[in-house]
Amino acid sequence: MSESKRLHPISAVASFLKQLKELIIPFVLLFVLNGGGDKGGFWDYMPLISMAVVLVVVLVAGFIKWLRFTYRLAEGELRIEYGLFVKKKRYIPFDRIQSLNFSEGIIHRPFGLVKVKVETAGSSNSRESEAELTAILKEEALELERIIYREKRKASSAEMSEEVESEKTGNEEKAVFRMNAKDIWVLAATSGGIGVILSGVGVFLSQFSEFIPYESVYDEMMMFVKSGLAIIAVLSFIVLVVAWVVSVGWTFVVYGDFTIRLNDDNLVITRGLLEKKQVTVPLNRVQGIRIVENPLRQLLGFCTVVIENAGGSVLEKDSSTIKLMPVVRKKRVEGLLKEIFPDYELSESFDKLPRRALRRYIIRAAVWVLIPAVIAAILFWPFGLLAILLVLPFGMIGYLQHRTGGWNLSGNQLALRYRGILKHTAYMKKNRIQSLDAKQSRFQARKDLTTITTTLKSGQAGYSSEVADLEERDASRIYDWFSHGTHNDNR
Amino acid sequence: MRGEPQKRISPKALKVWRLHGAIQSLVLGLFVIGTVILTTIFEWSVWVMVVAIGVLLLFTYTMIFFLPSIRWKRWRYEVREQEIELQRGFIFIKRTLVPMVRVQHVDTVQGPLLKRYRLSTITISTAATVHEIPALDTEEADELRNRISLLARVAEDDV
Repeated sequence: MSESKRLHPISAVASFLKQLKELIIPFVLLFVLNGGGDKGGFWDYMPLISMAVVLVVVLVAGFIKWLRFTYRLAEGELRIEYGLFVKKKRYIPFDRIQSLNFSEGIIHRPFGLVKVKVETAGSSNSRESEAELTAILKEEALELERIIYREKRKASSAEMSEEVESEKTGNEEKAVFRMNAKDIWVLAATSGGIGVILSGVGVFLSQFSEFIPYESVYDEMMMFVKSGLAIIAVLSFIVLVVAWVVSVGWTFVVYGDFTIRLNDDNLVITRGLLEKKQVTVPLNRVQGIRIVENPLRQLLGFCTVVIENAGGSVLEKDSSTIKLMPVVRKKRVEGLLKEIFPDYELSESFDKLPRRALRRYIIRAAVWVLIPAVIAAILFWPFGLLAILLVLPFGMIGYLQHRTGGWNLSGNQLALRYRGILKHTAYMKKNRIQSLDAKQSRFQARKDLTTITTTLKSGQAGYSSEVADLEERDASRIYDWFSHGTHNDNR
Repeated sequence: MRGEPQKRISPKALKVWRLHGAIQSLVLGLFVIGTVILTTIFEWSVWVMVVAIGVLLLFTYTMIFFLPSIRWKRWRYEVREQEIELQRGFIFIKRTLVPMVRVQHVDTVQGPLLKRYRLSTITISTAATVHEIPALDTEEADELRNRISLLARVAEDDV
């Protein structure tokens, strides 16, 4: 594939449509402003004419863009050339290419096309080194992928023996995870469901109040109805239900057909009913695994599995922390991850936090409410005192946070478990941790407690996990475990 | 936890930090003078003036005398063959380990204040984090920067 190729002509249409989308608002404005009055001479038609001119220019520009954009594979590089007056050439060596991500939008699918996004290893100006082929035939894209990955592998295993390579060339694919309809239901139902339930309860209560001493509260009820509160409650309930139904539908569209396949050393994630997206993550770019449980899903026994990806595109903000499994039964996680990441050990035996840390957790969670609560108590004495009750739920959160907190060391793997509102369990390898902090305040020192923070690379920045108030002895063990120093022996 | 890192930063850091604190206090002082003037013009309660001046005194004391010396006492670092260890903090004592293999680049930075005292700050960047050793003698900083960059180049993953 060394000759220059163009994108599929549909990309000219696509770029035209994209430009058009941005022009809609000024056009509508122009149209509305120009709407009234009689059309007389030439000048009255001026806005319309200029609109037409702009349209034509945009159309031609899209066409020229398509005409001047070529790509080819040569000498171990992906070479892209584009531009009319200023000719730009972007050459990306194969070994700098992290992965090729495919997506099929609505205009792609009838023609069997895909959009290919080339992701490169995070360099300082990755914006410059990334590339996008807006529309090429699916076969071509697969061919491209095959060639690039083959060349890459050849380069990386140049010193390795031949047989290893020939053994590996077979493009073996294995589906390891599929999300079924029930999973998607859970995903949809537990993401924004709380609001619906709450307003449902509100309406139910307002209905229920009709059954209690009807006549005695009749006047009050009338006031209530007159003030329109009931109507507002019902209306907002209906709005919420509609919003919820839409969001469920949307979840099905976005996450439908969610599949993870294991292809050599790459993780291939595909999803989407209308717009198909395919993301490829090289396994050796995965920095750590994190299991996230929101309280609702935790109750139902479900969780989310995310991975920190060192690559990722700067242009897409979600590409560094990837939802590997948007929702999955907690029980299945261990088996599934064993298959994908055999070197991670998902043990559930966590060392807990010491009991004397509990008070610190509760105070830390509740102290923020205390000051406004006291102010409210003083301003609205004596009913303002009720505001102090707010401390209870926050203290409860603190209690839960304390109960969640924990750590585990096994071999070269550290696991930290902590909770904000969501419960996180982060598994990381020693050689993926960028830096580790041990932090101790004076109050902690008095109680022999220490806070541990680790930072992993995630996209262009980092992701930090922190467990507060570990037993000092334990923190010390983790610290020494991470130390590459000479005066202690690593396991 | 094992013993703290051995090396201290330059004692001249104290002077720089005190100077820095003095400049900050000066800026706050201007505001306080403004408050005092407004108080006398509009005949506000004397307490406004008292509180403002109290805050200024407290701030000046902490920024010029208290903080710099405690900060300097706490600041320790050690560059070993395989890792860099830092210790710092006033309310929190924070110790950080940065493995040599993770170090991507090392810079020395020198602001105008530091330059006057022939000091430099070293910043150590990994793929995800940036760490700083403030106020080392310029020659020492340059030497350390070269050493870290050399160690980082030869360091190998042990896992």
